[in-house]
Amino acid sequence: MDSRKSIEWVHGLTALILGLFLLGVSSGLGITKSIVDLWAALLFIPEYPAAMLRDIYLDWRSWSRDRDNLRAEVIKLRAENADLRRELSKITNEQILELSKQNTNSARVNLRAPMSWWNEIRIDRGSQDGLNLGMPIFQDGYLVGRVSNVSLMSSWVELITSSSFMIPAVIEDTRELGVVAGDGEGNVLLKFIPAGHGLLSGMKVSTAMIGEQLAPGLPIGTISGQAGNSADGYTTYKISPGANLTRVYTVSY
Amino acid sequence: MFVIFLWLIQDFITVFTGGSARIPGLFILGLVYKIIDDTSDDDRLSAIWTAFAGGLLWDLRWVGLPGFFTLGYVIVILIVIQVWGLIPPQNRNSGTGIIIFILLEISQLVPPLVPVLILGGTTGWQFFISQQLYALPAICFCMYLFSRKHTK
Repeated sequence: MDSRKSIEWVHGLTALILGLFLLGVSSGLGITKSIVDLWAALLFIPEYPAAMLRDIYLDWRSWSRDRDNLRAEVIKLRAENADLRRELSKITNEQILELSKQNTNSARVNLRAPMSWWNEIRIDRGSQDGLNLGMPIFQDGYLVGRVSNVSLMSSWVELITSSSFMIPAVIEDTRELGVVAGDGEGNVLLKFIPAGHGLLSGMKVSTAMIGEQLAPGLPIGTISGQAGNSADGYTTYKISPGANLTRVYTVSY
Repeated sequence: MFVIFLWLIQDFITVFTGGSARIPGLFILGLVYKIIDDTSDDDRLSAIWTAFAGGLLWDLRWVGLPGFFTLGYVIVILIVIQVWGLIPPQNRNSGTGIIIFILLEISQLVPPLVPVLILGGTTGWQFFISQQLYALPAICFCMYLFSRKHTK
């Protein structure tokens, strides 16, 4: 037993001394580098799958990271783009409003029948003054209605409070599209806005680009509150028209 | 043959991780387990020289300077042989769990310490903690194998 232990010690100490010797002399030997290179070359084949797997993993991680970065960048750019679009539309609308205010073609309201008080008015300008069917009519730069009937010297204007009045419109701050419609009782409503946007009060509403007859960006008014929710997930908002429809004496076009 | 396979696995994992992770010393762990597991004392001498060769090859592959892991592995095997040899063979299968754990743990702790002890350096305690954490599952697996084999 003791001799076995002694042999173990001899072998162990020999291995240790050899290790220390290698450590001491190998740094000064030029052959060490050659052996290291040779050993690395020999291990190239068994290590190849690991190196390949590592490259695949690193490629995948890099691709995944790039994809996440790009996705974040797209989201950021989309938000930035939406902000810029909003700013641009605000500027455009302000310019349109200014142009509308400067419009010198004015007309006088010469008939507003009590039976159709919130539906239509007649003005003293007609086709000889350049009015056409569907043209927008303004008061103080805000949409009052559109020409629904034209004769030589007078025209009928369908008011935005008319129950048959429906035009596409956009909320300028959120760029949500909806339909502006009258109810025939003096109210103007913005319909078909997806629910969940909250109150939106004070936001400006103008005609949308998808309108066929009216140019986009014509100011209509501001949202004054919610009118209700429909069962199919849409909210209807009340609009406070920019034009004072109870005191329409003169209009412009 | 088994320890050559472990050496290659250790090398494979090191290549895969690019040397960035603390890879458990599977080769020396397997060798220590083999000494503990083997009830006869016949293979101890070969274990010393297997450790020497494995450490030398590891140094040549990953350190570039032979000696560090060579010494570390031989020291581990000497400690294990001496400590395990103190326990009578008939008592090795019961109540030795903590000793086996310490011996296996030494196999993971000593080799990385050797270069620090010889050269000095700034290797912090985090290095050893992370090394032990990575090695812990392998150590537990060895203990499980031992208990399963020797309880029967």
